Amino acid sequence: MSTPVTAAAPAAPVTAVPALPLTPLFVRLKLSLLKNGLKGSSKRKAAWFGTLALALVVGFFVTLGLALLHGRAHAGTVVVILAAILALAWSFMPLFFPTGDETLDPSRLVMLPLRPRPLVRALLASSLVGIGPLFTLCLAVGSVVAVARGAAGAVFAVVAVPLLLLVYVSLARAVATANVRLLSSRKGRDLALLSGLLIAIGAQVANFASQRLFQPGGLAHLEPAEAVVRWLPPATAVGMVDSASKGDYAAAGAQLLLTLAALAGLLWFWERSLTKLMVTPDGSTLAAAAPRKDRDSGPGVWALLPGGRTGAAMQRTLRYVLRDPKTKSAWVTALAVGLIVPVFNALQGTGSLYLACFGAGMLGIQMYNQFGQDTSAFWMVAQTLSSPHDVFVEMRARAGALALVTVPYTVLVTAVTAALVGNWADFPTALGLALALLGAMLCTGALASARFPYSIPTDGAFKNVAPGQAGLAWLSIFGGMLASAVICAPVITVTVYFATTPEQHSLAWTVLPLGIAWATLASWAGLRLAAPLAARRIPEILTAVSKG
Amino acid sequence: MPDQGDATGRTGGSTGGVRSTPPAAVRIEGLWKRFGEQVAVAGIDLEIPAGRFIGLVGPNGAGKTTTLSMVTGLLRPDMGRVFVAGHDVWADPVEVKSRIGVLPEGLRLFERLSGRELLGYMGRLRGLPGEETDKRATQLLEVLDLAGSQHKLVVDYSTGMRKKIGLAAALLHNPEVLFLDEPFEGVDPVSAQTIRGVLERYTASGATVVFSSHVMELVESLCDWVAVMAGGHIRAAGPLADVRGDAPSLQNAFLELVGAQDRAAGDSLDWLGGGR
Repeated sequence: MSTPVTAAAPAAPVTAVPALPLTPLFVRLKLSLLKNGLKGSSKRKAAWFGTLALALVVGFFVTLGLALLHGRAHAGTVVVILAAILALAWSFMPLFFPTGDETLDPSRLVMLPLRPRPLVRALLASSLVGIGPLFTLCLAVGSVVAVARGAAGAVFAVVAVPLLLLVYVSLARAVATANVRLLSSRKGRDLALLSGLLIAIGAQVANFASQRLFQPGGLAHLEPAEAVVRWLPPATAVGMVDSASKGDYAAAGAQLLLTLAALAGLLWFWERSLTKLMVTPDGSTLAAAAPRKDRDSGPGVWALLPGGRTGAAMQRTLRYVLRDPKTKSAWVTALAVGLIVPVFNALQGTGSLYLACFGAGMLGIQMYNQFGQDTSAFWMVAQTLSSPHDVFVEMRARAGALALVTVPYTVLVTAVTAALVGNWADFPTALGLALALLGAMLCTGALASARFPYSIPTDGAFKNVAPGQAGLAWLSIFGGMLASAVICAPVITVTVYFATTPEQHSLAWTVLPLGIAWATLASWAGLRLAAPLAARRIPEILTAVSKG
Repeated sequence: MPDQGDATGRTGGSTGGVRSTPPAAVRIEGLWKRFGEQVAVAGIDLEIPAGRFIGLVGPNGAGKTTTLSMVTGLLRPDMGRVFVAGHDVWADPVEVKSRIGVLPEGLRLFERLSGRELLGYMGRLRGLPGEETDKRATQLLEVLDLAGSQHKLVVDYSTGMRKKIGLAAALLHNPEVLFLDEPFEGVDPVSAQTIRGVLERYTASGATVVFSSHVMELVESLCDWVAVMAGGHIRAAGPLADVRGDAPSLQNAFLELVGAQDRAAGDSLDWLGGGR
């Protein structure tokens, strides 16, 4: 008396090994997550398809450009350096921008009877699905086409493309996994500082490299670097195609072995970190178990802040800079890059006082997605926001907290750069311009916070992120930077006018009051425009920032 | 919208009996919410009397959380109106938001503030003077048995402590109506008793508590007025005794109302257990 269903079901004992191959299953799972994640939000859908189209168009042209390098003198140098830059990008970008690569959260698979090795293989395959890998595939194809010659070159090229992709993806996963372990361990929270600094220095190295590149005969300068880099994986994958095309099969073989060794090493490290991560208690548990010194409840320096909502919101923002690992890391990066770029350039003798604007711009980015930075705790604030005036005061307080750090910091950086460059005459002008830029960033940041809120995953890189969100984040920040430059245009024009008209140079200091006035006006106008918009959209903003 | 008439038709007939109490704490008129193709709340009408302990009960996915989110102004309804203490939630948020306190499900808080800092922050956002906020925070922390961990970060709090600090934040500005979504879920009996004590004291002063739950024993022992939700509709609403009717307990009445009685597994699970 059994139903057809039970009749069909085998009564065989359950085995621990899944009968289905894991890899295709994970790829299908990733595709379903991607598809379902895009459902419901037309904005994210537009952002995702926009990013896809952009990646395809840019990818196509870059591939074409690289392919056109075929046979040129410095083709090898360019593609080898490009491979190295891509490796850096793959290691660090995912830490800053939530990408679709994170749709699979391995900690959700803890309870399944999966062995680490097949799991890593399946996760690797599913990580290859996405816009980032697609774009990289285009670049990889272009790179090998640029250097491959002859039958041997072609054979190595065919091997090089998948190897490159696999190394990049496993590099990104290994770094992200290690970072989750860092961020969730109690000691590691302060290492957020370190990772911020590392990224700042990396950005500066990339800056120098690109400066060298655009100097006349710049490619020749890169050759010594290239000679080293072509022996560093994953650039070895491109290097081996070049070597094989030149008939140096021994070098090509060695480079192939190095690439394979790097891939194996990365996969081993990833597997080890993943296993550790999955069997270690969550960071919050560890933190709760450890003794923690009581926080001073006295008012202290906070008493200097204004009362009411303004003071409370400023205090909360500043406390989060110190206590929240993600916010802390972002701030440290901004502060470090803002200082390192002008100072290092000045030390190199290529500096300009106006590079001091960099710090103001980097910190101005923190104004973007203000409500998203509250994560889903935004409902607590939303409950208390009942009129556009409330929203105005709230956003003004947040901008105020940001300015409280950024304004003195900008003065400091500009002064240090002026001292290093030995150009105190232009100090007021540069400071005025930097402050105007900060004001413009606060203005566009406030508007973008109201118009394009998106959620930030709270812990590490593994929390699920809705697909298309990364596109939204990029769009909002880069669009905002562009708009800020436009808003600053009058101040920039005046600065350029004084800089290029020697007879008027004695009046250049007027840029400082002009910049301050412009910054005040721009941020006030931005907040005034953003407040009613945000007030009308509170439930929508709450939905947007609570996802994931 | 097709089955709106159906929904109002099934609303319990006893709402008329409680009209003697002054203006309703919450009045909901034709509330709808649809997520894609799924209708979460299908046109509900409900009048909740003031000064009572109200239970909103229903199985998972009945639309309780969606309804509470729309009533508290955290989620925009597709259609319909909500009045709290006579003020339209969506047209007059200034009047409404200062009169209500909310403890949503999931309970995402500002994790990197300590319990005391969180209360101080919320009070000031609510426009309370700093000194008054700190005084109330001290008393709430004391009563809710959180004084010992007031300087710990919220991220290190247990579920029960999180519910309690969330409740403290919702009570800080002395709201007229308090909305709690599953306030006892995942809470140990000691914390539950503390929460219960505070809520009972609060309603005794004439305030209204609306809370959602699917633990019938709890609702039966706490509430004097209940609304039963299922499938996005209100199936019954009124004083506890009326909704319970002749059924031996609220649990039985509830199962009957949502049509979930006699749902046994039958022999479709005959592989489970046994011959391994």
